Amino acid sequence: METHPKRINKWIPLSFLLIHSVAILIFTRGFLLTRTELPFHSTCSDASLSPCLSPNPPIHHSNSNQNQPKCWTKPVVDRVVIIVLDALRIDFLAPSAFFPEAKPWMDKLTVLQNLAFGNESSAKIFKAFADPPTTSLQRLKGLTTGGLPTFVDVGNSFGAPAIVEDNFINQLVLNGKRLVMMGDDTWTQLFPNQFQKSYPFPSFNVKDLDTVDNGCIEHLFPTLYKDDWDVLIAHFLGVDHAGHIFGVDSMPMINKLEQYNTVLERVVDILESQAGPGGVHENTMLIVMGDHGQTLNGDHGGGTAEEVETTMFAMSTMKHTPSVPPEFDTSSCKQDPEGKQICISSIEQLDFAATLSALLGISFPFGSIGHVNPELYALGSSSLNLDNTKQPAVKEWLKSYVNVLCVNAWQVKRYIDVYSNSSVVGFSSDDMSRISNLYSAAEHHWSNSVKHILMYNDGNEDSTNTSALKAQIAAYLKFFSSVAELARSKWTEFNLSLMITGFGILVISLILQSLAIVHGDNKPYAVSSGLSTGAAFTLFIVLIRACSFLSNSYILEEGKVANFLLATTGLIKLRYSVMRKTMRKEAFVFLAMVSVLRVSIDIGLTKQAATSQFMSSSPTWMLGLAPDHPALTYAIEIAPILSVAALICVLYVAIARTHSEGIWKYVTVGSMLSYFLIALLWASESKIFGFDGLLQVIGGRNIIPQTVYVIGLVQLFLLASAHMFCSGKDKNWGSRTVALVSACSSPVILLSGKQGSMLALAYLLAGYCIMRLEGVERRTKSDGQNKFSKLDSVCVVQWSLLSVCMFFASGHWCAFDGLRYGAAFVGFDEFVLIRQAILLTIETFGFSIILSVFGLPLLIPSHGEKRHQLFQMYMLYGVISATTVTATILCVTIHRRHLMVWGLFAPKFVFDVVGLILTDVLICLASAFYL
Amino acid sequence: MNEARKKKKKKLDTSSTGVSNHRSISTLGALSVYLITGLFLAVGFWVARNKFSVDLVSDPSLTLFLLWSIEFPVVVIMYSFFRKAPEKCSCFRAYGRSILGLICGAFLNALGAISLGAPIGMQYLPKTVHWSFLMSVFTCVPATAVFGASWTDWHRVFASMKPSGNVEYMIFIPAYGTIIGGWFGAWPMPLDWERPWQEWPICVCYGAIGGYIVGQIVSLCAMFFFRKDKHLKVA
Repeated sequence: METHPKRINKWIPLSFLLIHSVAILIFTRGFLLTRTELPFHSTCSDASLSPCLSPNPPIHHSNSNQNQPKCWTKPVVDRVVIIVLDALRIDFLAPSAFFPEAKPWMDKLTVLQNLAFGNESSAKIFKAFADPPTTSLQRLKGLTTGGLPTFVDVGNSFGAPAIVEDNFINQLVLNGKRLVMMGDDTWTQLFPNQFQKSYPFPSFNVKDLDTVDNGCIEHLFPTLYKDDWDVLIAHFLGVDHAGHIFGVDSMPMINKLEQYNTVLERVVDILESQAGPGGVHENTMLIVMGDHGQTLNGDHGGGTAEEVETTMFAMSTMKHTPSVPPEFDTSSCKQDPEGKQICISSIEQLDFAATLSALLGISFPFGSIGHVNPELYALGSSSLNLDNTKQPAVKEWLKSYVNVLCVNAWQVKRYIDVYSNSSVVGFSSDDMSRISNLYSAAEHHWSNSVKHILMYNDGNEDSTNTSALKAQIAAYLKFFSSVAELARSKWTEFNLSLMITGFGILVISLILQSLAIVHGDNKPYAVSSGLSTGAAFTLFIVLIRACSFLSNSYILEEGKVANFLLATTGLIKLRYSVMRKTMRKEAFVFLAMVSVLRVSIDIGLTKQAATSQFMSSSPTWMLGLAPDHPALTYAIEIAPILSVAALICVLYVAIARTHSEGIWKYVTVGSMLSYFLIALLWASESKIFGFDGLLQVIGGRNIIPQTVYVIGLVQLFLLASAHMFCSGKDKNWGSRTVALVSACSSPVILLSGKQGSMLALAYLLAGYCIMRLEGVERRTKSDGQNKFSKLDSVCVVQWSLLSVCMFFASGHWCAFDGLRYGAAFVGFDEFVLIRQAILLTIETFGFSIILSVFGLPLLIPSHGEKRHQLFQMYMLYGVISATTVTATILCVTIHRRHLMVWGLFAPKFVFDVVGLILTDVLICLASAFYL
Repeated sequence: MNEARKKKKKKLDTSSTGVSNHRSISTLGALSVYLITGLFLAVGFWVARNKFSVDLVSDPSLTLFLLWSIEFPVVVIMYSFFRKAPEKCSCFRAYGRSILGLICGAFLNALGAISLGAPIGMQYLPKTVHWSFLMSVFTCVPATAVFGASWTDWHRVFASMKPSGNVEYMIFIPAYGTIIGGWFGAWPMPLDWERPWQEWPICVCYGAIGGYIVGQIVSLCAMFFFRKDKHLKVA
């Protein structure tokens, strides 16, 4: 009787893993669909199909590149220097007068500010809006294609595939422009063959603030003197890395900004010294821009204001920029401290590719949906003034701009039409007809009046011409804005049928899993009456938690919700323990631990609120003790080490109590050694203990972490081999579980940092209380023992809620800026994708999933072997996880058009799905190990 | 918060097992007691609004203070009338132990609320204190007034839920109602509706008061429908 279910038991978790994977895969394909990338490319000859004027009317002779073939638009600048400063916040560049409060990191790039606000300037500062996801790769893709990269590309960020869509860089190459690139190697991954020269530097080691920047600087200045390029791209990473490691308000950040100021000053000097007639920079445009912003913690990736608001500085080496008519001027102005009027304009990053293409006179990328930005275009248009001195600059510029917009609009319309026809799910016919109406209205106006004004340009000045041009521009801009709005709202093509299929499979798997649990209950000695209250309560708690995911507010405060429910179960248990007059102490300790966790969750929430646009920060947990109070610092230094010591004692007691022998014992002793090493590492990192010299003695701070990892791996290997070769000999779960959990816990604690040990202690205590309180409501008053060997579902729910609380209490939250990238580099300095990804996963899900799943057998009181019960517990744990994921999936299905879908729901979805798969895998492993 | 009442039982352990010779009450009498407590609750709100021109939203601390300090004497006087063994225990002794019960109950309520996630900053301290006093008036004070320190009675009524007599229905059902109402009242707090009443402890107060009233109604129904059982027990 025992062998048969045993064999089945091992297959059931595996089959659920498969079902869940399939369901999630199907759902993800429906939910995280990319925009269909079209394989078409624009060519110069396309422009003849447009209703617009060909760009080489006989009005222009003096341009220096007249020998080059003309393309869609008349080139207005010869060369472009693009300096990308990664994660450049708007307040790094814009003067502090634009912000409510001057902060230490503001006004550091003074050379650009002076250029932009100086008299007679041909420079401008723009506030640039990036579209989420605000990761470098997506932004570079968006900047060069002029499109809207979608969320799923985030997954490619660590593998950076080449861009196959038509893009600005590709167009430059097609049009015979020569490109030089230096800095972040993401560019060479995106564009492997396009650069004539490239000086890439590795970008992923976040701790390295200087390699990329120094490499950039080394090659930038010599290159600027040369004339063998047309477009130069220099991508600096220091600010991004300084933000990731130290945060915005830190000395390294300010040093970086000051360094950039010197570099930019030199760049501007070189450009201006060569800007005379005949110089290599006679008609060069300098663009200094950020690819995205960052939060004060240095995180980016989401759609919050701090992350999407970046900045752009543009300067032309030619003076006498035509001013933009006020209708198209987006600038906002403030008084600077000296009372001078200073203005910054705004631009969408979406428009970057189109504007640069227009400035350089190349064909626009096929998939670009941006429009030529009037102010940036005006900055480059100084050369127009030389053409025709008879007309005022504004008029001349208007004519040039309206023609550019004409071809621009035609290109966008062509793309929208082709896209709508070739994509599986195009735009809806309503939207298409609205867009078409706008376009045809604009085009009608063009053919009827404006075209004549431009073609038969006899120099007649009259205001009707100007107003006709302005009306034309306004009509085009209206068209562009509605296209961009449509694209933004519709571009993530949810495939509803796939989503519903995935959801349906998950629901079916939930039912099957529940059946597996109930089926297991068919034992002769089962008494159903005792179970029903507990089961109903379990169902109630799980359903409340599942329903809470339907609201964005509860997702934001998920940790508090889980804590609330956990405390509720604790109170119910307390009530029963008082009723049965047993285990009251444990019930109180459990509630105390829940309170400890909730304080930790509160601290985590304030960290989250500092970066989230959806939450308001409320530092409620502050108890009025100054953060740098000496007693507090001392406590912070010493408490983690004491906790580690306590953990070592616990392990010692565990070994002594369970009389474990052989391999299990040695593995547990190995964990004690790991703990000791961790304590040693922390002690040597703090100043209090006087162990500062220790790190030098043993040769660097990476030795100890690496030793801990090696010990952990050896332990796991021993456990696996012991299980394979000596299976059946040792049936003592207690010692096996202790060995496995302790082996896993040491890397988790190490990676979680100093709070890790304290949290582990709280976790251990709370878990112990759950175990003691197991089945308290069914116990008889007389002996205080649980008579039934039936599954107590409440304790599994408590354990599951506790693990959720641990996730939030250890300072995580379901967003990509909640990942602690620093943990990936504990013990290692250089970046290796797989290794660092594994470390990050262990850090993120260590407490909440790894320890939680492996530690589940500890909940079973040690008397007797209850193989079947353990299987049921694992199934129940799986059902609870799967239920929350199903609720999340239902939530993202419902809210797929919600404002926060990419900011909040999609990250939550990704975290939950990864967590579920990990849980399933670990349940498979655990049931292979324990059962 | 459920915990609160359990802990209450715990704190007072030694006492003579009360003899159930306390005064009984009819359903109608219970109704009138409820009406009086309800009336004074309303008086509390009226005083807060018209004399101090505050309400729960604008100044929760002061309003809660007014509410519980007006409600407390009423509850004590009403329930002391039904105290157990009135011949052994004077009225004043019942008042005295009610004050003790008020403080202990408030402490336990506050602890329960904090473990459930009530804010713990200094600026929330007065609100939490006054809120827990109000909760204590609803949950703990009637029981202390009637049972005193009789641990068996507490255990029987609150943990085992085996009340005998209308008075015990009047004690434990509204108390449970208050706690469950408060528990549900906490639900809207995280929502992003940006309403002032979502602040701690305003909606929890509303929930608790609502739960208290529902509990009173339920206890009236219980008294009404289980009258026969009660008679059997009494007989």
